[in-house]
Formats: sequence, structure tokens, C-alpha cells
Amino acid sequence: MNLTRKMALACTTAVLGTAAAAETMTIGITQNNVGVDSYQTTYEKAFIAAAEADPDVEVVVLDAGGDVARQIAQVEDLIQQEVDAIIIWPTNGEAVIPAVRKAHQADIPVVVTNSNIAEAGFDFIASFSGPDNITQGSRAAEIMCDKFKDMGIEDEAGIVQISGQPGYTTAIERAKGFEDRLPEVCPNVTLMETQPGDWNREKAQQVMEAFLVKYDDIDGVYAGDDNMGVGALNAVKAAGRDGIIFVGATNFAVGYEAMAAGDYWGSIYQSPVDDAEAALQTAIDILNGEDVPFLNYFDTPKITQDNMGEFTKPVF
Amino acid sequence: MTTTLNQKDILKRGAIWAFILVELAFFAIVGDAMSVSSKAFLSVDNMLLLLKQSAPIGIIALGMTIVMINGNIDLSVGATFALAAVVLLDSMTWPFMQALGDWAIPLAWGFALLTGVVLGAINGLIVWKTGVDAFIVTLASMLGFRGLVFMYNGEQPTSHLNWTLVDFAEAQFLGLHTATWFLLGAALILWLLMTKTVHGRNAYAIGNNREAAVNAGIRVGPHFVLNFMLIGFLAALSAVVFYSESGSVNPNDGMLYELWAITAVVLGGTKLAGGYGSIISTLGGVIAIQLLRKGLGHIGADTQTVNLVIGLILIGVLILDRQLNRKGQEELKI
Amino acid sequence: MAQLNKTEIGAFLAKQGILIAFAAFMIGFALANQRFIELDNVFGVIRSSAILGVMALGVTFVVIGGNLDLSVGSMMSFSTIVVLDLHDKLGPGLAILAMFALTLALGAFIGFLVGYLKLNSLIVTLGMLSAIHGLTLTWSGGKNMDIADKSGTWFSVFGQERVMGIPVPILIFALLAVALSLLLSKTPFGRKVYAVGGNGQAATFSGIPRARVVFLTYIVSAFCVATAGLLQASRSLGSQNTVGQGMELEVLAAVILGGASLMGGAGTVFKTVIGVLILGFIQNGLLLVGLDFYVQYIVTWIIIILAVWLDVAAKRGRLWSPIA
Repeated sequence: MNLTRKMALACTTAVLGTAAAAETMTIGITQNNVGVDSYQTTYEKAFIAAAEADPDVEVVVLDAGGDVARQIAQVEDLIQQEVDAIIIWPTNGEAVIPAVRKAHQADIPVVVTNSNIAEAGFDFIASFSGPDNITQGSRAAEIMCDKFKDMGIEDEAGIVQISGQPGYTTAIERAKGFEDRLPEVCPNVTLMETQPGDWNREKAQQVMEAFLVKYDDIDGVYAGDDNMGVGALNAVKAAGRDGIIFVGATNFAVGYEAMAAGDYWGSIYQSPVDDAEAALQTAIDILNGEDVPFLNYFDTPKITQDNMGEFTKPVF
Repeated sequence: MTTTLNQKDILKRGAIWAFILVELAFFAIVGDAMSVSSKAFLSVDNMLLLLKQSAPIGIIALGMTIVMINGNIDLSVGATFALAAVVLLDSMTWPFMQALGDWAIPLAWGFALLTGVVLGAINGLIVWKTGVDAFIVTLASMLGFRGLVFMYNGEQPTSHLNWTLVDFAEAQFLGLHTATWFLLGAALILWLLMTKTVHGRNAYAIGNNREAAVNAGIRVGPHFVLNFMLIGFLAALSAVVFYSESGSVNPNDGMLYELWAITAVVLGGTKLAGGYGSIISTLGGVIAIQLLRKGLGHIGADTQTVNLVIGLILIGVLILDRQLNRKGQEELKI
Repeated sequence: MAQLNKTEIGAFLAKQGILIAFAAFMIGFALANQRFIELDNVFGVIRSSAILGVMALGVTFVVIGGNLDLSVGSMMSFSTIVVLDLHDKLGPGLAILAMFALTLALGAFIGFLVGYLKLNSLIVTLGMLSAIHGLTLTWSGGKNMDIADKSGTWFSVFGQERVMGIPVPILIFALLAVALSLLLSKTPFGRKVYAVGGNGQAATFSGIPRARVVFLTYIVSAFCVATAGLLQASRSLGSQNTVGQGMELEVLAAVILGGASLMGGAGTVFKTVIGVLILGFIQNGLLLVGLDFYVQYIVTWIIIILAVWLDVAAKRGRLWSPIA
């Protein structure tokens, strides 16, 4: 299907010839790791769909498979193919800066998507489009704290954290946002321990099993995304413990279902479709010479059992 | 007997280059028809880029060739690569290093390369002194070295962006990128080492028949250690070349590099059992893999297709290799 | 050889070194933290290790037969994704059957390449690691796979229920271990696996069909992988495509720790089980005493080297290798 699309696009270009080619813009994207979870897969599909809907846009869709060397090579390839704009979902927020500078030097605007690059690279990018992961972390802390206050245990509660894949910007920022905000809103809640769950449900389940043995009293679990949060929930169910408050991030369909079932308290609603469309639109706007904000965050609201009716169930 | 061997040799060594030609033709014709890019796949710039992009795995694969010719294997190179990168970038932030200005760069390179050599020596000494199979020793140290990477800086990436270093790494001399020079330079030196020196001849002899080598008075152990130090050095060199340009290392970087390096070496025709192989053919294997990746990206293949194609091609090449080598060997028993 | 008497006791100790180390290790951690040996924790660890353990049982056959299998992790994600996807389309029973059939077909393909075509198992299974991952992504379209009605299916019985107070995954692991142990030690097939791995050439001359035996070891391995996939799927009733990725090396580490020689011809199912338990309890124990996750990597490194070293030292009757 992918190939037919490319064929169709190639044929269109050929038929329309040079006159139309001036109108068309070619946008290249290099993604972090498609297929590692539903979010990234849904993102890719939405991105391609959005590009197909726009007759003036052609896209080159690449996947770095989580490997920073491969991603840098892909940026070089896109520069070499003389695309009009590059969208990058960084595998590492710092390591890609020199590659981004290369694109900048070749006068190709770069849009960073989903997970930002470090400040040292801000001079070379046109815009960042994506969620604000620090804010997401602090919102998760607020959700957790508010729930504890409702339950009247805000002075004694102890929680554990299951963070994302070690070394990835999104994981680091969410943990930081959460850890910074929690003492501000609930100074007496203790974060007993943090272990990485690698964005992986099974790994998160194992980590939670160990936590359950180690701590008799766990009141809350903060997971870097719902995929891991549900893994932790599975561990808790298997051990027959209850009364533990689960808060995640990036609301997955499984998290939404667990919320509906009353097992899972809250999360952060973040749509990969919004994410992908915002990134593409940002690139198009820049190519059309429009002004775009440098930090182009799309909103990622809190979702809990109380307000989940306002949100449609995530498709991923 | 010798003439048939030579013919077979030429046939085998030619195979990988023939494969590269097929890839080039395929991507040049099919690729350009399917790609949205107006730039030709076969342009000189693109081919120069191909060489540069082959460097990270390529430099490691060169070392893997030597270790495998020697009858061993090294699964820990990905972790060595990451640890050397951490040392490279972190050392430049040490106070006394910062006082040195740009002179810190060669020193940081030295520290990183030394790290690689030391890790290699640890593997080599364990293999030598305990007599445990290299596969097991390096499988275990793959875990251990990765643990050391995490120990150094927790889960945080280690970063130090030095634009002087980046400019050097991005430079092109006579059209070739810095990384390409390192890849070709390392290949040349190792080719000389393996074909023109006593150490090289002994490495082949040991891999071919360890008993016979011992009987001929070759000291096997020191050769093992030397070759492991060499591959450790090369894994670190690969890190030095790559991270000079990118300036930040995640603790998970370099995972699976060992498997890609082994794949490249085997595509180049080196025997897993040892005693046979060539540095130049490994270079061919590395280029073939990178070309495949680049080409599949060029025609817009998605992740699953890339995985499927790379896996099946590896098996296909193995079957082909089997057919080429079957003459004179025992019949297949089905 | 002459000094065999002198070293007999030492050799015995070294031979059982893995068991002694395991016991010492358990006692040490139990003293450090009482919880470590509480029944709940022990069950928890074995249950978590069961999936890795079941896979290791199969790989033990392949390794004793003188080959490697690096594709088990990738194959396990395939089984998990397939059975979850088919669950809602065919119903649990048919889904399980279909998943076993497909996984066994993959195993047969590898067995054909390694057994009959005599291709190098390391490279074949390395290629299959990548190819099967591509296959899994194609099957799922890269999406997470979840059973729609999680509370209304009996499919969860394999991963979540208990029988007579014992978690089902532990029972399945134990039953499979006993069955495969008997297969390996008490049947002609088992003896052939040792013969083929110990000396393939000699086995061929003595009339053992090497190709078929190797082929069958991969079938056993695929069967175990399918069982592991079933446990995994039933346990979480939903999965992402990366489940099982990277497990091939952990599985291999457990098998090696149990003393199966990569040269083939040596190893037992029982020792592999011990190897699996050691890895599981190390991970759990270090977590319990509050050490960072990466410490387990370093500890595992040292333990594997020491265990295998002791083993080979016992076999050759001297500590340091004779390599000049």
C-alpha cells in the first residue's frame, strides 16, 4: 500500500510536470521507532493520511528504529534528496543537533516533533511541535495529589514511579515534571522508589511485582505512560492488592478501558493524530512563509474517571 | 587443488561485490521510479554519503573479522562502543580538561580509545586464562559493560557538544568525509596486519586449527588478547568518530551493533568457525547492508519490510554461499 | 588424568557448583531481607521467570544438539501477537491451535535450514530474528494487540489463575520441565540429541539421522516458544509488538548458566531450570535490597563467568586453562 502510494505520487509528479512541481512541497520525516508501540504507529498512519489529503504535499517517511546513528544518516539522506522541509522525532535530543545544523546550513527548515531537542540546537530549528512533557509530568502529579486529598491521605501516602525507557527525552522530562511538582502540591507524599519500565508493559509488570513485595503500603503508582501503567495494574490485580491509585500519561485505549472499569484513576490525554497533524501543518505553514510559534505545543489535558466522558476512547 | 581453491576464493570474494552491484542497479532503476525525490540515487554525493554512513558499524565489523578469523567472537562491542562514547564526552567536561581548551580533544580521544582497549583486554584475558568459550565470555560482558555504562551516568544521556569537534568530524577532505577516512584507513592498516605480518598469519593459523598452531609453537593466548584489545580499540574508535559528530550518548546506544557487525562479516564470507576471511570482503558486507537500508529508505519501504528483507537476504546469502562451497564436501543427507 | 583421584572431591564440588552457588546466594539474600523467601515472593519470582524458563527449556534442546537459537525472543512476540489477534476472531480454543501451528511452522522452517541444509544456526536465527519481527509488525500493523472483552474470557486461565494455590504458569513450567526432562534423558530421541551435539560426524556414521534430530530440536524449541507466548498473552491479555525482544540473549544466558555447553552434547533440563531461577532471583533480590537495576547486569556478568569457568575447570581437572 505504501508502495502504491509512492507510485501514484511519482506518476502525478511526472504527469503534472515542472509547472506543478513548483507548487508541490516535499517534506521528509524521520521518526524515532515505529512499531515499538501503538502511539508511534498511529502517528505514522495519521501523518501519511494527512499528507495524502493535501494534494500539494509529498512526503518521504523514514523510521530510525530507535538508533541515533541511523537517524543522523536519514537526515543526511533527506538533505541530499533536497526535500523542502524536514520533520524529526529525535531518538536523542542532543545527538541530532549537528545533523539538524547541517539541514539548517542547507537552508532546509527543520521541525522537531513530539520530543524536543536540547536548547543548544534551538538556533537551527524552525519550530517544535508536540506535547509539553514537563507539564504532563506536573499535571500527573496534580492528578495524583488531588485524588489523595479527596481520600484524605495526602499527609501519609507513599508512591512508586515506573519511568519510561532510560535515556529518552520524553521519559526524563515526564519524570522531572512529576518529581518537581509533587512536593509543591503534596509535600508530605513520599516517592519511595523509581524504576524504569522501558515503555514496556511486561517489564512494568515485573517491576511492580517487585515493588509489591518490597513495600507493604503503596498508595499510588505513577507510570510514564498508560502502557506501563496497565502492566503495573495487572501485577496489582494478580497479587490481590487494592486501593492503589494509578496515574499514567499518554492515555492508551487499554488505560481508558481500565479507567472505565474503575481500576485506573487518571492519565494525560494525548492524541498521536493531533501530534502528527500539528507537525505536518507546522512544516507546511513554515514553507508557506507564515509565522509559527517557536514552541508549538498542542494541548494535552488531564483525564480522570471523573471527566473521561468528555473524551473519545483513544484509537491506539 | 590450489587452483580450484583460488577459483573458489575469487568466486566467493567477488560474490559480495556482485551483490552490491545488483543492489545499486535495482535501487538506481526501481528506486528512482518510486522515489518522490528528483535526485538520482546513484549520484556521487549520495555514494560518498553511503561510505560515511557505513563507518559506525563498519569500523567495528573490521575488528570482528579479525576476532572471527582467530576463531572467537565478540558480542560485547555494542556496550564497549557506548562506554567509550560516555568516556569521550564526559572527560571533556572534567575541570582540568576544560582548562586545556581544544587540546582536550585529542586527550579525550585517547581516554576513550584506552577504555576500549582495556575492556577488550578484560575479555581477552578471561578467554585466555579461564578457557571459557569467547561467545559465553562476551555474552556475559555485554551485560556487564552495559551495566558499567548505566553506572557511570544513571539513565541520563551523557552530552558534550563541542563545535570544533563537530566541524572536524563533518569535514570533507578530497571529497571523503572524516568518518570515511577513518573507515578506509582502519581497513588498510588491518588488511596489512592480517596479510603481511606474523601476527596476521598466526591468527589465521590459530583459527584454522588450534592444535596444529600450538604444535607449531604459536602462543595462542597472547594472540587472543591482542585481537580482543584490537576489537575493543576499534569499537572505541567507531564511537570516537561517531560521537565527535553527535555529541551525546544515550545509555542504550550501540545495542544490537554486535549483531549487525557479525552480519556484515558473515556477508563478507568470513567463516564463523575461524581460519578464513578477509578485511576487504567485510568492507563489502558493511556497504551491502548500508546500501540496502539506504535504498529501502529511498523507495519508501516501511519498517516491517526492511526487517523482513534484511533477515531473508541474510539467509539467502548463506544458502548461496553453501551452494558455492558444496563442491568436494560431503553430500547433503536428507 | 593421573591426578583424577586427587581432584575428585574438588571436581564433584565444581560440578555441583551451580547448585551450591544458588543455595549460598539464596541464604545470603534471605538474611539480608526476610521477604525474599516468603512464599508470595518465591511464587512471584518463579511466575515471572516462567515465560523465560519455558523458552529456555526448548533452547536447551537446540544447544545440546550443537546449535543456537537467537530467534526465540522475536518468535515469542509473534506467538503473543498472533494468539491475541486471533482470540477475538476465532475464539480462544481455535486461536491457540492456530498460533501453535504457525509458530511450529516457523520452527520447522528454521529446523529445515539448520538441519537439512546445514546452514550455520547463529546466522540463520539472527536473520530470522529480524525477519520474524518484520512478520509480527506486518501481522499487527504495528499496533498494540488487546483482547476486547478482558473479563469475559477463559483465556486468562493460563497466565493468571491458581490451581491448588499454585499459579498456573508455574505449573505449566514445571510440567513442561518434567516432560522435556524425561524426553531428553529417557528416550532414544534424547540420546540422539546428545549424540548429534557431542559429535555430529560420528553420529552420522553410526546411523543417527543428524538432519532429522536437529530439525526436531527446533520443533521442540518452537513448541516451547508457543507455550511462552500463550503464557505471556494470557497473563496480560494485551501486548505490544516489542514483547520478548532481546529475550534471546537472556534465555541463552540462563541455559549457559545451567551448564549446557555451546559446543553441544552437554547439559540437562534440570540445570537449565536452576539457571533460570538464578537469573530470576538475582533480579528480584537486587531489587528488594534497593540496588539500581543496572547492578543486576554486572552481577549477572560475574556469575555467568564464574559458573561456566567452574564447570569447564571441573571437566578438565584444573582451574586455569591450558591455552599457552
